Amino acid sequence: MGTRFELVLVGDDAERHRPAGEAALELILEAHRRFTRFEPSGIGAHLARRAGAPVAVDPDTFGLFADAGLVWRRSEGAFDLTGAARAMNTLHLDPAARTVTLTRADVELDFGAIAKGHALDLAAALLRNAGVESAFLHGGTSSAIGIGTPPGEPGWRVALGSESGASTTLLRDQALSVSATWAGNPHPTVDPRTGESLKGPRRVAVVGPSARLADAWSTAILVSGQRPTLGPDWSIWIAEIS
Amino acid sequence: MDRRDFLIHSTGTLAGAALLPSLELAGPRRLREPRAVAVVGIGRQGRQIVQELSQIEGARVTAVCDTDPERLKAAVERTPGVEGFADHRALLDRRKEIGAVIIATPTHLHRAIVDDCLRGGRHVYCEAPLAHTAEEARAIADAAATAEPGKVLFQSGFQGRSNPVYQLARSFFRSGAVRDLVSMQAQFHRKTSWRFPGAAANWRLDPAVTTGLAGEVGAQQFDVCAWFRGRLPVSVAGRGAIRLHNDGRRVPDTIHTTLLWDDGVALDYEATLANSYGGQFEQLHGTNAAIKLAWSHAWMFKEADAPTQGWEVYATRQQFHNDEGIVLIADATKLAAQGALKKGMGLPYTGLYYALGDFLKSIEEAAPPRCTAQDGLRATVLGILANQAVTTGQQLAVPAGL
Repeated sequence: MGTRFELVLVGDDAERHRPAGEAALELILEAHRRFTRFEPSGIGAHLARRAGAPVAVDPDTFGLFADAGLVWRRSEGAFDLTGAARAMNTLHLDPAARTVTLTRADVELDFGAIAKGHALDLAAALLRNAGVESAFLHGGTSSAIGIGTPPGEPGWRVALGSESGASTTLLRDQALSVSATWAGNPHPTVDPRTGESLKGPRRVAVVGPSARLADAWSTAILVSGQRPTLGPDWSIWIAEIS
Repeated sequence: MDRRDFLIHSTGTLAGAALLPSLELAGPRRLREPRAVAVVGIGRQGRQIVQELSQIEGARVTAVCDTDPERLKAAVERTPGVEGFADHRALLDRRKEIGAVIIATPTHLHRAIVDDCLRGGRHVYCEAPLAHTAEEARAIADAAATAEPGKVLFQSGFQGRSNPVYQLARSFFRSGAVRDLVSMQAQFHRKTSWRFPGAAANWRLDPAVTTGLAGEVGAQQFDVCAWFRGRLPVSVAGRGAIRLHNDGRRVPDTIHTTLLWDDGVALDYEATLANSYGGQFEQLHGTNAAIKLAWSHAWMFKEADAPTQGWEVYATRQQFHNDEGIVLIADATKLAAQGALKKGMGLPYTGLYYALGDFLKSIEEAAPPRCTAQDGLRATVLGILANQAVTTGQQLAVPAGL
């Protein structure tokens, strides 16, 4: 995923925490290998090679495709794994058989706007399962999860920008994703509906129960500028920044 | 076709024609017919195996086995169309249609499972090292040798032999590309505790059953060097210490071993869990060139006074501080044709993927395994001897006739 992941695990049982942290980082690396679009061993290349045929996947991977489909539909195409208008139509999901079918071999799937959150969700689930009750995880500082709270604090306090006076939020068993465009150079993110580079400057932060969904939504909102209704567990910040 | 493509094609053609007439594709592995496979032991390695098999077209994992109920439940949930078993004997009894079993349990549990599988007429891929004692490793090799000759295939999980880049580099080496071998050096560097969440999984740190870093990791790399050389070393010396993980363990987190061959050439090997610099590699230093092997990549470094071969002019090069390495690319021609060369110069899949692919292909084609039980026995015993040398501080002779 071309970025640095860091985990902070709070506790005094190093013999329990260190292996849990190492295993969580292994999971993140595994997710990186699975969702890279640069290697033929990635799931995208695998689906393209088997284009037209349903490919059975594990529940976590299916969940990623299902969430990607959900955000694509609800954002009317502002988030799109295929990066091109209506190309998400080439992906078919069968929840009963837990299969994914890519109908065209020439579609290159790009998981860049969802894989970091997905990897963090997997890592957080592993840590909770291993008995970790207080931790902070982030990937490239743009996606983060707070597990429990730091000692004596109500939550993990995160600033939504590097400038002084930037808004802050408290994460407590919640995930955060931030997406932004800057003034000047064309942004690498393209609006899949028009094929044009995004214009800035704009910053979007999304907080909710899933880092994977927060990731996808922060990109969708950055692209569309539209504020969706996501339910009581979710918060959205949109700032036109200077 | 642009100029770059032309050069890539030319490079592949020239290198391939000169040195690699029969190298297999480094790309995806496909079986002609679907084949049902069982995986016994689904800890970290077993999970990785299931993942790699899902990328081999035609391979179907239809049963998994683990004595840990939680791990078994997780694996059954993760793997579509798979049945879970707590006991491998029940699996073998009830799923007669599964002809191939991959064993990825802790090392000291391999033997009984291998025996049952072979007796049940199943093809076996046994993870490396084969066993935690030389006696058990020999028993596995004997069982593999006596199991229905020609009908039941046994592959040892030493992956270097299936790695297309290593096969390419070995053909360079065997054709005299480095000229006279001077020395070898190899290492495994990772910063990790070697502990895993859940107490039952820490058999690697149990002195009663572990083969230590030398056996669990080093044996893979010793095997590469012995396979390149075509013969075994004659003696092993070693030492070890705990440099970082002073958590009550008695198994060293840092080891040094020296494997000595009959012609005086030595392999200096270092493995540590306290530092990650340089990762994992094997180097063979010759009077004309050095070859560096790093699992997904390999390079050749020429001496200034070594003659240049025709294909080198077109070869891809990489700079390493003051040295320039010629990138050894397996299947350059075919990868170039697929446009895959431009994406990266390393192997597209892991060593494990190619080893599992070879296993299933060998079954399908009734061909000899890429790494036999005897190969596995030799490498396993080298690892066990090296571990003994580390724990005792003694120099040990490699038994003649191994």
